[in-house]
Amino acid sequence: MGASLQEVKRRISSTKKTEQITGAMQMVSTAKLSQIQRHTTSYQVYANKIRSVITHLAQSHLLDGKVVSDSASTPKKDKNQVSGLDMLTKRNVKHTGIVVITSDRGLVGSYNSNVIKQTMELIKNAGHTADDTVIIALGGTGADFFKKRGYNVAFEYRGIDDIPKFRDTQQLVKKIVGMYDDETYDELFVCYNHFVNSLTSEFRAEQMLPISAINIGSDNLAQKPEEGYAPVYEMEPSQDAILEVVLPQYAESLVYGAILDAKTSEHASSSTAMKSATDNAKDIISSLELQFNRARQSAITTEITEITGAQAALD
Amino acid sequence: MAEQSVLTVNIVTPDGSVYEEQTTMAIFKTTVGEIGVLPNHVPVLASLQIDEVRVKIDGTDDKFEEIAVSGGFVEFSNNIATVVANSAELKENIDLERAERARKRAEEKLARAKQEHDVDTLRRAEVSLRRAVNRLNISKH
Repeated sequence: MGASLQEVKRRISSTKKTEQITGAMQMVSTAKLSQIQRHTTSYQVYANKIRSVITHLAQSHLLDGKVVSDSASTPKKDKNQVSGLDMLTKRNVKHTGIVVITSDRGLVGSYNSNVIKQTMELIKNAGHTADDTVIIALGGTGADFFKKRGYNVAFEYRGIDDIPKFRDTQQLVKKIVGMYDDETYDELFVCYNHFVNSLTSEFRAEQMLPISAINIGSDNLAQKPEEGYAPVYEMEPSQDAILEVVLPQYAESLVYGAILDAKTSEHASSSTAMKSATDNAKDIISSLELQFNRARQSAITTEITEITGAQAALD
Repeated sequence: MAEQSVLTVNIVTPDGSVYEEQTTMAIFKTTVGEIGVLPNHVPVLASLQIDEVRVKIDGTDDKFEEIAVSGGFVEFSNNIATVVANSAELKENIDLERAERARKRAEEKLARAKQEHDVDTLRRAEVSLRRAVNRLNISKH
């Protein structure tokens, strides 16, 4: 009995230490979560502005039906030119690019498995195979998973900052959008967990390239009447020239927004996972303590019986 | 729209709003030349060069706040000028050392790209060089 008493004691102290660690990790994640949420609000201002300008500019293009025309009708551009307007043109899809945003480390509950599972489903449902899919993996877990299964991982990146700043992410985002120009892929989906609130997140797969009426047009048409948003702009130098500048910037901001959103939900699920780990540890400790006390009690009882027994024998 | 004597300049980047002030005049360097915007200007949409945005400091005669922007565009309507750029810094916030490092790096890249006739990298290096030089120029004014 004595040895087991010792054992239970040891287990209690080790569980307590684990609890301390998970508790600390939970606090860290929560702190990061509120930090990134603050950052997201300031990004939102930028995103809204750029979207409203895009909607305004691209409207005529979209309504022209230019977008729907396939690549055959638009003359091939000079390869070395960054082609903003190309982003509005649907090409024949030879390769589908899928950006999968996962975390680098574990300890985030079902965050990673959720993204990966749903992404696989998306690939399957769309009828893509490993040959015509190009994976762009942000985060180690996704990169390892898709490489192991023989997918073409065109680009992987590990170690995105906890609070990704656009300044630091810019190169990365540029690279991803740039692959569209290189025709590494002809359409781009971004798969990530969208942050709903600190307890839930939902999987999202958004088509970001080519920029189509679906990404910008639909909500615009709904908004238009009550907003009365239609100042007639003087364009400097020309509408097309401005679109050339704005469209890549828009695409980049979309990808960055997705990364930001994914990171937010990563922190949230990390915080939730650590919270439940801490709660679990507390449960274990209380049941262990009960066990410990019981064992101690019975040890004492045995001792007393022994003593009284010996006393009785002496008398 | 009522006539106003001031306009608001708002510079936003993905990392948040960098600058928001009222002024009587703002000067933007667009890809085809400089435009000065006074209150009640007609709505304008213009793509910007990697250069500075100059905003007259309210209440002074010829003092300007200088902000380095890395391209992007400006949208002006209802007396609000919104600059949407990937990055922007106030003159006093420019990290000189960082800009200097970036300049060196861009120059090295440029030289290498020229040697290898890599047009893609060349173009990219030129842009980053321009950005770095722009920052340096503005901070030395």
